[in-house]
Amino acid sequence: MASSIRASDTSVGRELGPSRLDGLGGPHPRSDAKGVSAARSSSLWRDGVRRLRRNRLAVAGGVVVVLLCLIAIFADFLAPLPYTKTNFSRLNEAPTRAYPLGTDQLGRDLLSRMIYGARVSMLVGLGAQVIVVIIGVPIGALSGYVGGRTDLVLTRFVDVMYAFPRLLFVILVMSMLGAGLTNIFIAIGLTGWVGIARQTRAQVLAIKEKEFVDGARALGAGFGRVLGRHVMPNALTPIIVAVTFGIPEAIFTEAALSFIGVGINPPTPSWGQMVGEGQQYIRSYWHLCVFPSIAIAVTMLSFVFFGDGVRDALDPKLK
Amino acid sequence: MFHYVLSRLLWLLPTLLAMALVTFLVMHATPGSPLDPVSEGANPLSPEAQKNLAKYYGLDRPLYEQFAIFVSKAVRGDFGYSFVYKTRTVQEIIAETFPISLLLGSMALVLAIVGGLTLGILAAVYQNRTWDYVSVSLATVGVAVPNFVLAVFLIILFSFVVPLFPTGGWDSPRNWVLPTVALALAPMGIIARFTRASMLEVIRADYTLTARAKGLGEGPVIFKHALKNAFIPVVTLLGPMFAAVGTGSFFVEAIFRVPGMGRFFVLSMTGRDYPMIMAVVLTYGAFLAVMNLVVDLLYGVFDPRIRY
Amino acid sequence: MRTPRISDSQMDLLAARLAAVGVGRRDFLKVAAGLATLGAAGFNARPAAAAPNLAPGEKLARDQHVRLGGGGWWQNDPSSHDYNKDLYCSGVPILWAGLMKFNSDFQPVPYVATKVVSNADGSVWTFTIRKDSKWSDGGPCTARDFEWSWKRQMDPASKNPYSSYFYDIKGAEPFNKGKVPDASQVGVVAKDDWTLEVTLEGPRGYFPVLSAYLAALPAHRASVEKHGDKWTEAANIVCNGPFVLETWEHNKVMVLRKNKHFFGAKDIVLEKATIPIVPVQSGALPYENNELDISPLQPGDLRRMRDHPKTKAQVFRYPFPGTWYLIPQVTKPPFDNVKVRRAVGHAIDRESVVKVADGFAIPAHSMIPTGFPGAVDDKKVRDIQRFDPKAAMAMLKGTPFEGGRNWPRITLTMREEGLGSKPLAEAVQAVLLEHLNMKTELEVLEQRVFRAGLWKNDYQFVWIRWFMDYPDPHNEYFDTFYGKKTEGRRQAWVNDAFDKELEAGRDTRDTKKRLVNYAKAEEIMQTDGGYVPVAWVSRWCAAKPSVRGLEKNKLGETVVEGNIYVDMLPHVYMVEKA
Repeated sequence: MASSIRASDTSVGRELGPSRLDGLGGPHPRSDAKGVSAARSSSLWRDGVRRLRRNRLAVAGGVVVVLLCLIAIFADFLAPLPYTKTNFSRLNEAPTRAYPLGTDQLGRDLLSRMIYGARVSMLVGLGAQVIVVIIGVPIGALSGYVGGRTDLVLTRFVDVMYAFPRLLFVILVMSMLGAGLTNIFIAIGLTGWVGIARQTRAQVLAIKEKEFVDGARALGAGFGRVLGRHVMPNALTPIIVAVTFGIPEAIFTEAALSFIGVGINPPTPSWGQMVGEGQQYIRSYWHLCVFPSIAIAVTMLSFVFFGDGVRDALDPKLK
Repeated sequence: MFHYVLSRLLWLLPTLLAMALVTFLVMHATPGSPLDPVSEGANPLSPEAQKNLAKYYGLDRPLYEQFAIFVSKAVRGDFGYSFVYKTRTVQEIIAETFPISLLLGSMALVLAIVGGLTLGILAAVYQNRTWDYVSVSLATVGVAVPNFVLAVFLIILFSFVVPLFPTGGWDSPRNWVLPTVALALAPMGIIARFTRASMLEVIRADYTLTARAKGLGEGPVIFKHALKNAFIPVVTLLGPMFAAVGTGSFFVEAIFRVPGMGRFFVLSMTGRDYPMIMAVVLTYGAFLAVMNLVVDLLYGVFDPRIRY
Repeated sequence: MRTPRISDSQMDLLAARLAAVGVGRRDFLKVAAGLATLGAAGFNARPAAAAPNLAPGEKLARDQHVRLGGGGWWQNDPSSHDYNKDLYCSGVPILWAGLMKFNSDFQPVPYVATKVVSNADGSVWTFTIRKDSKWSDGGPCTARDFEWSWKRQMDPASKNPYSSYFYDIKGAEPFNKGKVPDASQVGVVAKDDWTLEVTLEGPRGYFPVLSAYLAALPAHRASVEKHGDKWTEAANIVCNGPFVLETWEHNKVMVLRKNKHFFGAKDIVLEKATIPIVPVQSGALPYENNELDISPLQPGDLRRMRDHPKTKAQVFRYPFPGTWYLIPQVTKPPFDNVKVRRAVGHAIDRESVVKVADGFAIPAHSMIPTGFPGAVDDKKVRDIQRFDPKAAMAMLKGTPFEGGRNWPRITLTMREEGLGSKPLAEAVQAVLLEHLNMKTELEVLEQRVFRAGLWKNDYQFVWIRWFMDYPDPHNEYFDTFYGKKTEGRRQAWVNDAFDKELEAGRDTRDTKKRLVNYAKAEEIMQTDGGYVPVAWVSRWCAAKPSVRGLEKNKLGETVVEGNIYVDMLPHVYMVEKA
């Protein structure tokens, strides 16, 4: 059993931020920074995959995620109707045979819009995470590896950004940029990199101490090589996990933005936008809001179960 | 420990200052100015009227000067008059609305903790049996559906289908029920699953085995030993969770007509109410920092391994 | 007495005055219609006293208490109730009584003033104030109070952005702009307690209209001096209108109670009114749950409430004239080509498009809706806007976009708002795509950002909803489209022939001839593709069966609380539920 743990170490445990995803997987023995064993990469991955396969919930989640990605990619072939095709004589209809999920305010087929919506929502999720990783990982890695003054400054900067109320700041940034798909990536990305930065820093700090890094250094490997070849692959795991959890989080945020009115503009369908705009019609035309809500919920849960599974699988501490 | 608390509190000041700066810059970079007339039919104000208004708001000075003035006044608690509610000061509005959001948030958090713990324990103890599935499902609903959708469903269920509660307002405890539930569902779900996983680990742990071997009944095993240990990771969640919930949610407050601070999040943004935006962001930041500190201290209470 | 003639240059001024305080198109049109139809009594017509009209077996409710709100009424806390200082305080107007008020036909009628007379040319107006006019603390509300209030509004120290409203008053502008140190030269004088004499810059036959609008409401001097900005809080406020502010819990609710000192108190049946602050996100839920008695409706709820047998009879349409139209910017391709602009008119299937607004829009073929003076209904204009996809494509012949090809990137810009505006824009996008193969991107901007760009004529293609000011075509066309305006033009389109018709039509004397001018102007504008009308606004409200007394206008439409007509509550009475 570890001896006294310094309180400052535990602050790392809140890395993933006050998101609704905390706890969906449960606490993790690795929620403190230390304790990454020095397993060699190749067997880590192999073990990981094996463990992952045994976790049925994670597999189910993973299957759904893959399915969603396929739907997103092949939307053009899957959607029965173009998502802009209006039908003014069949507005706001509940599900019928012709329109299995009903129609929206302009008589567009909800099913088709949901299918294309998968694409947009996935894009939002991934796009935002790309920005999150691009900003967060370098900052965290730099901070952890270089240490000293740089670390101090960067950590303080990260703390300041962490103190911002997330949704409020996203709205602020969206007001500044204006509505639109890329602006949403930027806004969500700019406000969400903090968790990953902290995680990366913690990982890098932990790994930095390990013998194999010293060993590599002793053999003459340069700074870049050490970072790239030895440190990063081990640090990768929490990043993957954070990204997996971040995608549904981004979709949720996009729904909130659309509800307020600063989200994606029509006619581009996104689940978040459909939920946000359909909310006022819940009592009259329930299908406008309910189906996209279900889609978001299913997506979120799949990503979470899958993410859990990945995290558990790649943790060498578990038997 | 005293040093720890002190140093954390001292760090609060530069953090808030940095937050203020970032917000200030983003705010002024946003197109659309508070000088534009409110009404839609109105023609643009004459250049003279705009100049007068700018002078009155202090917007005609260079940015760094505006920021300096803001900071010097803010440290004395003076955030100025709201641009939108022109006869009331920002601190007045926040003093009135923040306690309401805090009350709503606290109730929601208590409900979330009590509910979440219960569901989590039940799920863990009766793992893979009915209670487990029931509680996991409940937890999932709260987390997977946006709360502005949940809110309307709650109203439909409990105001119309089963007329128990009013659709909103904040007059009597009867009004408090639905908004609290709407706000609590997501955190409850998080806590429930967290507790469940944590309990599962603990139940299998050595010390639980020992306790059972000692002949203790199931009750004390669960409640005395397991729970305390399981609760530790949950505590780490509470700080940011309370901060998120305690300052009010725009959606819940708007839909239920709760006169809290959360509504001003969005209203001040669209109204370009600069003083209000700054005050709301800083209030939130300060609150979050304090809650994090409290939680870290609590962590020490629960986990005897931690020393300050 | 004979009402002095209101010339057209005076009408222009009236237009400018009301526009400067942001009186929307909708309201101003109504006002001018009212002016045009003033009877022989001119401004001194007595408003009909309304007595409760009970059906046999009905009884007045014991508890004369109405709850109103929601649907956009008071969705945010008012910043004050001080209309005298801040016209856009979003307060409760019925707390006050002006010298005159607007009736349900938007005509100004005497209120606190019993008589309104002017000199021969209408440059000096004298208001005789009733002697039983009182403040809610029992003290008399005199001409001196009005003098003080109006001067306060002109005072540059009060930083009122809408003080140009009263620039017709002699000396008001120099005082307001700071060129004169005090208000002694301003032409508002209380000759004695009950006579207010207003000297104007010149003949202004319409001046009484200004005195009826919200911008002319008085303030209570002693309260202002004692409490400063907080004088309209419930504990401090002293008002002279039919109701007083009994409670004001910020962000929550306002409660009004009948003002027993009000001169018309004996005719008012209602005792209490509760106005909760209801954000639009709540929809019609409070009304349906019987927490509100009267509430305007939003698109999400109209259909359901009209279809449901229980609520069917409670829903009614109320006049709120406005027009949704497109501005194809003549300075930006492809709309610099008039054929393209005309093609757009033919390509829009208005009957279908308005369906998406779920009752909140009807097809429009011109600027002024049917039933209002100046409405244009001739075949020529209808033909220009006739939905005809073939004709639309035919229009494109000879342009680089023949056959619907080669369209450049087109952005349709609109402002963020509800009440069906976005679905309508999307429907327009859909029909343009279908019939002209014109693909457009919708850009939804925040209100302030949108307007900033609008004045600069920056946008390529605009979707805009405009409210009518007053029911006279002059204001509708002149203020919105007149090419020679120096500032405040919403589009770059200019047409000399059009401008000439507007100028010719300003002669109020021959009403028939005027209308011909304006009809021609509309035709010119449409032929030249200056704008493309799409739909007229339609608004709905719901009121419980126990709510009675809502006034009707000459067209038989029920009129509710708005921007010009704010006299709903004194006429309302509650009946016992059956």
